[in-house]
Amino acid sequence: MNLNNPILVKEMRTRMRGKRAFLVLTGYVTLLSLIIGMIYIIFKNNAPTSLLNNAGKILTPVLVYVQMGLICLMAPTFSASAISSEREQETFDLLIASLAKPSTILFGKVGAALSYLVLTLFGSLPLIALTYSLGGVDLGDIAKVYLVMFVAGVTYCSLSFLWSTLIRRGVLAQLASLFAVIFLVAAMPALALFFSALASNFSSGPSSGFLNLVFLLLRTNPFAAIASLIPGIPTPPGVWLPDVPVWASQVLFYLVLTALSLYLSLKRLERVRKWM
Amino acid sequence: MSNNDQTTSMIKLENVTKYYKNFPAVNDVSLEINRGEVFGFIGPNGAGKTTTIKMLATLMLPSEGKLSIGGYDIEREPYEVRRLIGYMPDSFGVYEDLLVWEYLDYFAALYKLGPAQRKRAISDVLELTDLSIKRDSQVMSLSRGMKQRLCLAKTLLHDPEVLLLDEPASGLDPHARIEIRELIRELCRMGKTVLVSSHILTELADFCTSIGIIEAGRLLAAGRIDDITANLAGHVVLEITVKGDPALALESLAERPEISRTTCDGRIIRAEYTGGSEDVDELLEYLIRRGVRLLGFTRTEADLEDIFLKITRGAVA
Repeated sequence: MNLNNPILVKEMRTRMRGKRAFLVLTGYVTLLSLIIGMIYIIFKNNAPTSLLNNAGKILTPVLVYVQMGLICLMAPTFSASAISSEREQETFDLLIASLAKPSTILFGKVGAALSYLVLTLFGSLPLIALTYSLGGVDLGDIAKVYLVMFVAGVTYCSLSFLWSTLIRRGVLAQLASLFAVIFLVAAMPALALFFSALASNFSSGPSSGFLNLVFLLLRTNPFAAIASLIPGIPTPPGVWLPDVPVWASQVLFYLVLTALSLYLSLKRLERVRKWM
Repeated sequence: MSNNDQTTSMIKLENVTKYYKNFPAVNDVSLEINRGEVFGFIGPNGAGKTTTIKMLATLMLPSEGKLSIGGYDIEREPYEVRRLIGYMPDSFGVYEDLLVWEYLDYFAALYKLGPAQRKRAISDVLELTDLSIKRDSQVMSLSRGMKQRLCLAKTLLHDPEVLLLDEPASGLDPHARIEIRELIRELCRMGKTVLVSSHILTELADFCTSIGIIEAGRLLAAGRIDDITANLAGHVVLEITVKGDPALALESLAERPEISRTTCDGRIIRAEYTGGSEDVDELLEYLIRRGVRLLGFTRTEADLEDIFLKITRGAVA
């Protein structure tokens, strides 16, 4: 990504200058700290001493799950009004009439949205460092979890940018983006559950193909990808591609989604004169 | 491909039509504007001025016809056209969170100016638009007139050959309006080709070398102001100043077949006279006979407003 992209520079100036960036980051880290603090107190008062030595085993997944949930809610808002807000504040004409190429607009806007994402992920690092110090967690797994969260954030930002080019009103673009993310996160496990429920009615038990389909759906879910990294959760026997970790397939699926969203956004921006 | 240096025609529209759904906002418009000309695009609101300018600014494609600037086709060579033009829309927003210099720096970078060039260009346009003192102010702190000047400054950053100014003084107070007018005059002196639209004719009368009159999407007349005036030969306007209520004078004028139209502003009546120039005295005698108390009775040349009224009469239902 070109860091001299004028749109990226302008977005960074406007996004980071106001109170918003400060409030987003402070709110994010405060929320995570409160949740982790609360769970730690409950855990300390109730868990046996043997478990306390590996408190990180419980606290780290909780922290990561909460963080992933927040990314699902926040990432779409980072870029869902990127184009629609330009149209609403009547600056889009000036942008299009300039020499800015569609790719400059795309990478400038999405890049600025990602800067927020990176900021929030970095903001949580001290908390993860704390839970890591409580033991029971592998550093490599933490790195993988952060990769899953980053790629998920990138995908949601790209998808939201696409909505922003499709919908004129910023609020509607935000809503559409949020629903798209909820669909991606919830629909696949819901379908998996549905198929599992169907399978339980089979007299001879579900076929292996059926089980594979359910597992394949779970491979697209970032929460499932994070769960697969929790020590002690085994991969079911007989599934397709047993050597490909769930997190890796999920990251790959999301990268494909990202590429598709960016490509469609670019095409939409290239044809801007037809829809303006 | 263009032959930018040889052509004298800078802006060219050939049978351009633009439909919004089934409604023709611009209808079969053909027009040529030469290099260095200051072209006033005149018409009431909704006449098709903004749509035409947006097409020239490469923001919209025509439904039919062809537009080119500097020989470059707006449909096939939009980037070459954008390099040549500076576009100021009628209604525009600014990035309120930026400082004035940052706003200009952003657009200068979008126009591919290098860091050193940007610095120089920003300083030049700020000076030209008399905003140097506001260089480090926040855009949101500027008045409406200053924002308008800032947008004009942005339009000039890459030193475009052609300026497309859509209602540049709309919504401004008289003082800011005069400032913008002075700025456009300065740009005319710099030899830019300017297409400036307005529905306020007095705004354009002072500095336009040629005009185009558009109404209901149709270009009713276009050319040099002198030529259009010459085409309206025999078109005489009488300025009649009355004492007291002008109703009697208006009523009397309405009875005369050689008076085609009257407008009244207080005690001053402007009457379009189509009779023989030697017979004006007969009209004067008639008014006195009818008991109209006259303070003044002058024969004037047609101005832009008269031309507009004459040309557009009956064009819109």
